[in-house]
Amino acid sequence: MKKKASSRQKSEFLWGWLFILPTMIGLIVLNIYPMIDTIKQSFYKTGDFGKGSKFVGLANYQKVFGDAEVWQALGNTAKYAIVEVPFSIVIALLLAVLLNKKLKGRDVFRTVFFLPMVVAPAAIAMVWKWLYNSNFGLINNIFNIKVNWISDPKIAIYSIAVIGIWSVLGYNMVLFLAGLQEVPRDYYEAASLDGANGWQQLINITIPLISPTIFFVIVTRVIAAMQVFDVIYMLIDLNNPAWKKTESLVFLFYKYSFEQSKKGYGATVVVLLLAVILILTVIQLIGQKKWVHYE
Amino acid sequence: MKKKAIAILLSAVTAISMIGCAGAAAPAAPAAPAAEEAAPAEEAAPAEEEAAPESIGSSVEGELSVTIWDEGQRPGLQQIVDEWSEQSGVKATIQVVDWNYYWTLLEAGATGGELPDVFWMHSNVAQKYMENDQLLDLTDKIAASDKIDMANYYEGIVKLYQSDGKQYAVPKDIDTIALWYNKTIFDEMGVPYPDDTWTWDDFAANAKKLTNDDHWGYAIAPGNNQEGYYNTIYSMGGYVISDDKKTSGMDDPNTIKAMKLFTDMIADGSCPDLATVSETAPNELLCAGKVAMSINGSWMLAGYRDNEYAAANCDVAVLPFTSTPDDRVSIYNGLGWAAAANTKNPEAAWSLIEYLGSKEAQLKQAELGVTMSAYMGTSDAWVNSVSCFDLNGHMKMLDAKLVFRPYSRDTTVWEDMMIEKLQECWTDASKTEDVCKDIAAEMNADLAEE
Repeated sequence: MKKKASSRQKSEFLWGWLFILPTMIGLIVLNIYPMIDTIKQSFYKTGDFGKGSKFVGLANYQKVFGDAEVWQALGNTAKYAIVEVPFSIVIALLLAVLLNKKLKGRDVFRTVFFLPMVVAPAAIAMVWKWLYNSNFGLINNIFNIKVNWISDPKIAIYSIAVIGIWSVLGYNMVLFLAGLQEVPRDYYEAASLDGANGWQQLINITIPLISPTIFFVIVTRVIAAMQVFDVIYMLIDLNNPAWKKTESLVFLFYKYSFEQSKKGYGATVVVLLLAVILILTVIQLIGQKKWVHYE
Repeated sequence: MKKKAIAILLSAVTAISMIGCAGAAAPAAPAAPAAEEAAPAEEAAPAEEEAAPESIGSSVEGELSVTIWDEGQRPGLQQIVDEWSEQSGVKATIQVVDWNYYWTLLEAGATGGELPDVFWMHSNVAQKYMENDQLLDLTDKIAASDKIDMANYYEGIVKLYQSDGKQYAVPKDIDTIALWYNKTIFDEMGVPYPDDTWTWDDFAANAKKLTNDDHWGYAIAPGNNQEGYYNTIYSMGGYVISDDKKTSGMDDPNTIKAMKLFTDMIADGSCPDLATVSETAPNELLCAGKVAMSINGSWMLAGYRDNEYAAANCDVAVLPFTSTPDDRVSIYNGLGWAAAANTKNPEAAWSLIEYLGSKEAQLKQAELGVTMSAYMGTSDAWVNSVSCFDLNGHMKMLDAKLVFRPYSRDTTVWEDMMIEKLQECWTDASKTEDVCKDIAAEMNADLAEE
């Protein structure tokens, strides 16, 4: 009896590993190895075409900590995330609650809100670039105003954040909708018998019950927002006066690694970003104990 | 039902993203089973086609891979390459990779030892590729060839692709800078069209006359160096970088004078402000009838020709001069045909480059309207390649003082810095001198590091 169980365990063990093998290989080749290599590169000064790289110890890190441009980029990234994450979550949650009710044309709305997620970021950026254009853009012409949405250093990063919110709204909404399916209807019935209105139901039933989903969305959105790049890359160029105030950390990484071929220094910038994201995520993991309810 | 709809939607998205990953420009067919939800799939498919290409092409035995970055030149060049194929019996296909991806992928290819057989080289990076033995040394082959003689090409382009006394590329083309203008606006404001008698001062004075509430006289962005202030700097006797590539000339009094010409024009309103040009490039403003003049390179021809408004309203003239027609300057640049050092077909690659550089193919390149050619005296036919503009504006710039586009080993580092810093005097012309001196100091530091 004992022997049989062990043979079964063995076979389960074998098959288990066999099944996760493709994913494991993918992860190792595409994620884990490049990550380790990036960290390694951050200790080197890169030679041309990857040849003749020189070990420089912590010199890149010393340079990063003294580099005003890096800190400016970190500040820009933080500004972007502070606007994008809360707004995209609150709006998506309200939309999800609304679209979870019986509503005419509900599927159409769901699809419409999800569409930005399906469109290539480059195409999105091109359309918004024309909407925002200060002289000929749709927004300024309709409202007859003159705002330099993407060339005023003070507001450009927020204009970009608006595009970010618009783009991820649908994705967040779908996740919240999935979470809402798990909330038993009886709670709402009981609550309305006790005279709770829609708002009270949202605050006291919906949000606590889907808090695991909200937590998941916050964690992933913060990570994604800290990595913002493509929209900025498409919208802002060197001629733009808002250049310095919109450059994100990943943008800086791209500039050093690919435009100036300083891969070592680029890697250092991205390791800094990794550290920042790690710290933010750990804080959230600790903080969740206070507000996330797992049943 | 709700769950099902979401599930279908999600699977459609997954299918689309997989198409994207595979890099295939395949239509949305795999997503078709998601019947009702096919709409987003159709939306996404065209966008996916523009997704990043994944390789720069690599060397395969018995066949040549040729990579360039300009789709506008592909049809003409393919025709020339096909003629070579007929003679040599070797198949050669041209692949186009957009400029932005070209350099990233070429560098990745060079790092991994997978370069196309034959490809374009550019002044920005040539030195780096030559020093690291990425390009096939053509010196001996050129010496042995009866078709190629480096004395037949514009000197600056030949020298650009030399390192340590060796020649690594054969010049392909040459570009010149000229003054594009909107005839309709000139007529409306009663200003005579620009001609070869204009000085830079006339240019500034006329730009002012051409400005009203609907349009500006001229537009320039801090990034318009070769297509803008570089020409004026050299025309006025200044310089950007010394001949030995060790010192910056941005603090030269004549350089500062040239920069003042433009910043004063911005300050007095004959040019749009920085915000406008940073959102809409000067050539786009010209195509929209918003500016009367724009300084552009001959490579912009295809863009203007294909723009209905520009084709109907615009034309091109030579650039102004400073005090005598002898100091009319065109900053020029030229691409080179290079081969990979580790190509599997060195003989065929050289044979193709030899053909592309020959007088015959260079003539053909101009005739087909691909570009002006680097082989001196073969570009005359280019003037007739387009009927809507009088291309003599660009053609005659070949007789002006040709100054090669300022470069050093790491050009982009100081060039980007310059563009960023110039923004300050675009918004405040009184700071021009200080900004130029500041750029010179930082540029000298960058050059010392090279």
